[in-house]
Amino acid sequence: MKPQSCVNIKKEWDIVGARQLGREIAKKIGFGIVDQARIATAISELARNIYLYAEQGQICFDVIDTMEHKGICVTANDSGPGISDIGQVMQDGYTTSGGLGAGLPGVKRLMDEFDLKSVENKGTQIKTTKWVR
Amino acid sequence: MRIPILKLHHYLLVSIQTEIDDHTAIQFQEDLLSKIHKSGSSGVVIDLTSVEMIDSFIAKVLGDVVTMSDLMGAKVVLTGIQPAVAITLIDLGIHMKNVPTALNLEQGLTKLHQELGE
Amino acid sequence: MDQQFKRIAIEHSDAIVQRWLEEINSLKEGNYTASISDELFESTNREFVNVIFTSIKNQGSTAAVEEFSEKIINLGWPLSYITDGLQVFRRETVDYILSQSDKVDSDFISNVLKSVDLWVEPLIRQLVNEYSGSWEHILSLQRVALQELSAPLIPVMDKITIMPLVGTIDTERAKLIMENLLEGAIKHNSEVVLMDITGVPVVDTMVAHHIIQAAEAVRLIGSTCILVGIRPEIAQTIVNLGIDLGKFPTKSSLRKGFKTALEITNRKVIDLKSQEEDAENLMGSLDGE
Ligand SMILES: Nc1ncnc2c1ncn2[C@@H]1O[C@H](COP(=O)(O)OP(=O)(O)OP(=O)(O)O)[C@@H](O)[C@H]1O
Ligand SMILES: [Mg+2]
Repeated sequence: MKPQSCVNIKKEWDIVGARQLGREIAKKIGFGIVDQARIATAISELARNIYLYAEQGQICFDVIDTMEHKGICVTANDSGPGISDIGQVMQDGYTTSGGLGAGLPGVKRLMDEFDLKSVENKGTQIKTTKWVR
Repeated sequence: MRIPILKLHHYLLVSIQTEIDDHTAIQFQEDLLSKIHKSGSSGVVIDLTSVEMIDSFIAKVLGDVVTMSDLMGAKVVLTGIQPAVAITLIDLGIHMKNVPTALNLEQGLTKLHQELGE
Repeated sequence: MDQQFKRIAIEHSDAIVQRWLEEINSLKEGNYTASISDELFESTNREFVNVIFTSIKNQGSTAAVEEFSEKIINLGWPLSYITDGLQVFRRETVDYILSQSDKVDSDFISNVLKSVDLWVEPLIRQLVNEYSGSWEHILSLQRVALQELSAPLIPVMDKITIMPLVGTIDTERAKLIMENLLEGAIKHNSEVVLMDITGVPVVDTMVAHHIIQAAEAVRLIGSTCILVGIRPEIAQTIVNLGIDLGKFPTKSSLRKGFKTALEITNRKVIDLKSQEEDAENLMGSLDGE
């Protein structure tokens, strides 16, 4: 595994920075154009959620390159308010901000693996992975 | 950064050429509505050929802009959505059911022409 | 010692080859080359045994080995032909060298075995590597061909493209279909895409879901997708499963779908022949007057 690279999410423009870096990494690993768009979009969703609901946090990228697997792991970390009902936020259309409520369930469909851990008033960690086909 | 809005007869043309951040998207929504108001345009083509990704936020802004323009009497057609963008939108569960689309700018204009009967 | 054995083998290569060929021929009845002509089998065997001897003389000649393994793949012969051939060679050579020696004790036998193994081993390794390498190459070519086959696009005419789907649709293939469909629609500037599911044997919720998603994506890029080839049982499944095909135009046959596609693109088919006849009739009636 290569050393992790991270982007701090504090301002709105950091959302763009994170997804651009993620797309670049995905391209280098050998993802096709459609998967690059999927990964960039998922990063954008995770980064915006940090910006909107936790104010600040981090998006980190790991390149996975073993004998059997090649892929990218994207982790979103924040110390915000946390999510109390995970089942609820994973429903299509659920939003507390007047959005489409498409973000989290969308990320799950865009990526191959999705893992959400959250503790109320402590923060949220979302780890997602996409494998090169 | 602002997205330029061009006027062509009684239509407005927008070609989005840059990576859109949230602020630019909101600014664009305001700019387009006030331009429709000032020019009295009856149709708008927004060309997205150069756009590499649309996430749920930008999709919402675009969808809203279509509905708002409609309320003001201007029909909006989105053109040039790339395959990768279309596929990610479908994955996100965003179908933009009420938004008219066309393959490219020319066909977008033709579509406006047909539907507005002008 | 080793040099001495090698000399014996090379000096008497004719005899060893003779025995080897007999042995290999008896293996032919086995399985792998049952449908192959005798001439081809014999000439390939001779080439094989030549490759073996050249390799022993030159201590591994890569070009000949490479060429030979490629040939075996192109002939479609199995790897066991190569491994059997080398095993037989080993056995025959050891027997031959032993038969040529007066003093044979267990030390001697083990020396002979060691030497011959030493000659054959690199050859086995090289041939098997070459064989599996080329095989993988061919497989990857076939995979690409299969991908294209599994989601073909036919730009039948200006503005109209057909995608006939045949066979089972799983998630992986559905992704491929979606990508090909969208790329193709844009490449051919197709205002209408006809997705023909006549050849899809089973349409369950999963397949229907994939088809609907593809149709929705087609609409997003600015084209129209018409589903054709809806057989009665598929219509039943769709309704029984409560699947909402919603706004997508569907037609029972490709023909009807094509007609709708023409209407959408403001065109229709006219029969030139009957017009000609009309014209001829008209001319005829003029003549008569
Ligand atoms: N990092 C987070 N910390 C706290 N709450 C969060 C976090 N991420 C998401 N949520 C909660 O989960 C809800 C659903 O998030 P999701 O991204 O699916 O939709 P949305 O952000 O409301 O709208 P959209 O992403 O479609 O613009 C949010 O409205 C918010 O209440
Ligand atoms: Mg969100």
